[in-house]
Amino acid sequence: MDTQEAPKPPVAGVIYGKICYWIVMLGILVAVVGMIMYFASDGHMDKAQFLDLLWDGEEAEVIWETATIDGEVPEGHWYLRALSHGDVIAMLGIAIICFAAVIGMWGALVGTVRSGERMYALFALIVACILTASAVGVLKIH
Amino acid sequence: MELGSIEVFFILLGGSTIIGIVAVRGGGGGGVVFTPLMMGFTSIDSFIIRATGLLVAMAGSLVSARPFLMRGLANMRLLLMAAVPYSIFGVIGALLAGYVKETAGDTGEAIIRLTLGILVIGIAALILFGGKRLEYPEVRNVDGITERLALATSYYEQSLDKVVSYRVARAPVGILLLCFVGLVSGLFGLGAGWAMVPVFNLVMLAPLKVAAASSKVLIGIGDTAAIWPYVMDGGIFVLFAVPCVIGLVIGTIIGTKIMLRVKAGFVRWLIIAIMFGSGVKLVVDGIDRLS
Repeated sequence: MDTQEAPKPPVAGVIYGKICYWIVMLGILVAVVGMIMYFASDGHMDKAQFLDLLWDGEEAEVIWETATIDGEVPEGHWYLRALSHGDVIAMLGIAIICFAAVIGMWGALVGTVRSGERMYALFALIVACILTASAVGVLKIH
Repeated sequence: MELGSIEVFFILLGGSTIIGIVAVRGGGGGGVVFTPLMMGFTSIDSFIIRATGLLVAMAGSLVSARPFLMRGLANMRLLLMAAVPYSIFGVIGALLAGYVKETAGDTGEAIIRLTLGILVIGIAALILFGGKRLEYPEVRNVDGITERLALATSYYEQSLDKVVSYRVARAPVGILLLCFVGLVSGLFGLGAGWAMVPVFNLVMLAPLKVAAASSKVLIGIGDTAAIWPYVMDGGIFVLFAVPCVIGLVIGTIIGTKIMLRVKAGFVRWLIIAIMFGSGVKLVVDGIDRLS
């Protein structure tokens, strides 16, 4: 059955969509600022050396050990400990982007609770918990 | 001639923008185009490509979520229902990938890629020869579980200048298939729009545009669960990842605006082409690795 009246989108969807969009935009802004700083000066990782190793097909561990100042392979939320370099600020921007759906899903949960959709609130809660567990490092894939 | 870091940045930016436009119109997240292209035509380590592929697919999906959800093109209830099996089995698939790599080595990965390639080509053939009803599938019977989930809704179809109401069917079968899709997605570190669109459209009988938009948004949720271990293990390098993410986001914004205007038939053909291309690439990859 077709009608001409434009339907109103569900609150949970609107909240999720807006949160994700603006957090991704914020993350991109931080990443761009970080990249400008990185191009203007030396960073935590040597640019020329990184590109050489990347095109040579070297593994990530080798690149970190060879091309960075400290030669350490990163672990956990490593970028929070070295925010004085442009490339690390850019990495922070990427991490912000990766947080978008985590926060967005908690927002969607609020939206489903407000609109009284109990079953969908439960679905949103399960997904939000999975995403949060991954973001804090509980789920180890490798 | 050796390229400098700034030249590399802008080449990756331009290429990723094009991938973003194509991916969103096909209902994919970009990873399924980005990852095979990079694996096939560069010498970059596959762990770095898979990490960046997941990141670009996720970023593009997150940006396209807002217009798709605000215009009602992506079905939020369908998304929440699908996100549970997709996320859980995506993580299980990723854990399984690590197990297969440790125990079966290159042969195990080759067999999995070959099997997946054949499967993707099969699904593309099913869409190709399935008939034109798939753009707006006719739902005759809705089972009790799907009825209780209340997934029926409507959206404004810009190309037809009218509101289209639709129902969804066979949710239990769809959930089972999404478990499989999540498992496959986690195994390969790819977005799975090419598999989710057929599940929503062919099995659950959602209109093709709804299926494509919903799959695009769902990729952002599922890939977020998978991306964090890569970030924490050092699989992301900003000089490679940032231009790819920005390019994909720009491409996605352009592609989303186009998708809202074009007729569903065009999207169907684009999805078929992407699925055939991905399937052939995976089969060739699998045979290469076996030999």
